[in-house]
Amino acid sequence: MSIIEQITQRIKEHPLPSMVAFEILRTIEDEDHSLKDVVKLVENDASLTSEILKMANSAAYYRGQPVTTISRSVLLMGEMMVVGVAICVSTSIIYQRPLDGYESPEGELWDHSLRSAIACRELAKFTKGKVNPGLAFTAGLLHDIGKSIISEFLVGSTKEMTDLCASREAADYIEAERRAVGTDHCEVGYTLVQEWGLPEMLCLALRDHHHPSKTENQYKHLVYTVHLGDIISMLGGAGTGSDSLAYTVDNEYEKYLNIQKDELSLILLKVEEDFTELKETLMS
Amino acid sequence: MNVIYVGVGEYEVSKTPGEIVKTLALGSCVAVVILDPKNKLVGLLHVALPESSINKKRAMERPGMFADTGIPKLLDEIKKFGYDGKGGLIVKLAGGASIMDPNNTFNIGKRNVLAIRKILWRFRLGAIAEDVRGNISRSVSVDMNTGKVIVTSPGRGEWEL
Repeated sequence: MSIIEQITQRIKEHPLPSMVAFEILRTIEDEDHSLKDVVKLVENDASLTSEILKMANSAAYYRGQPVTTISRSVLLMGEMMVVGVAICVSTSIIYQRPLDGYESPEGELWDHSLRSAIACRELAKFTKGKVNPGLAFTAGLLHDIGKSIISEFLVGSTKEMTDLCASREAADYIEAERRAVGTDHCEVGYTLVQEWGLPEMLCLALRDHHHPSKTENQYKHLVYTVHLGDIISMLGGAGTGSDSLAYTVDNEYEKYLNIQKDELSLILLKVEEDFTELKETLMS
Repeated sequence: MNVIYVGVGEYEVSKTPGEIVKTLALGSCVAVVILDPKNKLVGLLHVALPESSINKKRAMERPGMFADTGIPKLLDEIKKFGYDGKGGLIVKLAGGASIMDPNNTFNIGKRNVLAIRKILWRFRLGAIAEDVRGNISRSVSVDMNTGKVIVTSPGRGEWEL
């Protein structure tokens, strides 16, 4: 079986995360849905109910009075953020695994993904309302999930890939991955979430987050947001091992996000501040 | 062997033989290592941004985040541990990496390194060794027994600074 066939097989065998996150996503895609529909889905899942209440009472959302109901929590956090928390709850085990092909220890993919999610949520505020911060959070959380599958096929090629990037023989780590195994973590992640039936805009955010200019025009605001969120996370030191920073900024982002240098630095600080609290909230 | 981890915006000083002082995954951040061979002291600071003026409240809470507030704090801490202020300090820097960026908007790493050199100069200090910039993430550890500063990067092995 070729490497590509083996990767395709792994994608098919990959365990589905809890479906509640995707049920909520499908529900909120329907414009006629009501708050009650979302609340019912959350309340049917005991662990999600507890996580949502914890999150609504964390410092990020706390407004002076304890929140005791799911409906109030959903109103406070926004529906897309509820999806993000549901994905966090159901995928944290996948994300905890070490990425041997990237020489990245256990937990690093989770830290990188959470930090990227926070950065994307903050960056969404600079898209002039074009990107829902909760959607950006979810896309940021998922953007590198392909690494959890492709990593084992990259074991033994790590030095060769870093050498290709250092000598500029490969334009970036995506090209180095393609030279090593014939595909890359973006393509693998895209195929995986397509299998899961996620909405097209989220699938494309995974596929195009390193080369956002090639994405569909109507999703460019979201994909450029994820592109920058990933970069901010890497610059802050939370990469996923050997590929960290071996990518190029696509400066077309200026068309989609109105953000200045100092604001990028402030987001880097915000990510650092919120990450510890969010991780503790989700892990406690 | 006891390892002291220095997080983002934190600083630590050690004079305990056998300890390792370490900071992980620097990205655009910079590790400022100050060695005092006479008093067998090591200080390590993990700087995230060049200037505290961007968020003064944060600088009060965690001065190590910024080059201009972190370096004076690290030097104060080294004095508390026994540095006599008579010179002889050895400074080494690692980190300050960047993403490939044609427009230089994301050059936080470069700005960190420049700000750190400037602040060090104000204290009549300069780094004798630097492993900075580039597009790689680094971790740094200092062995209290030997004073050796080791830089590692995933996929690239380790080397002495």
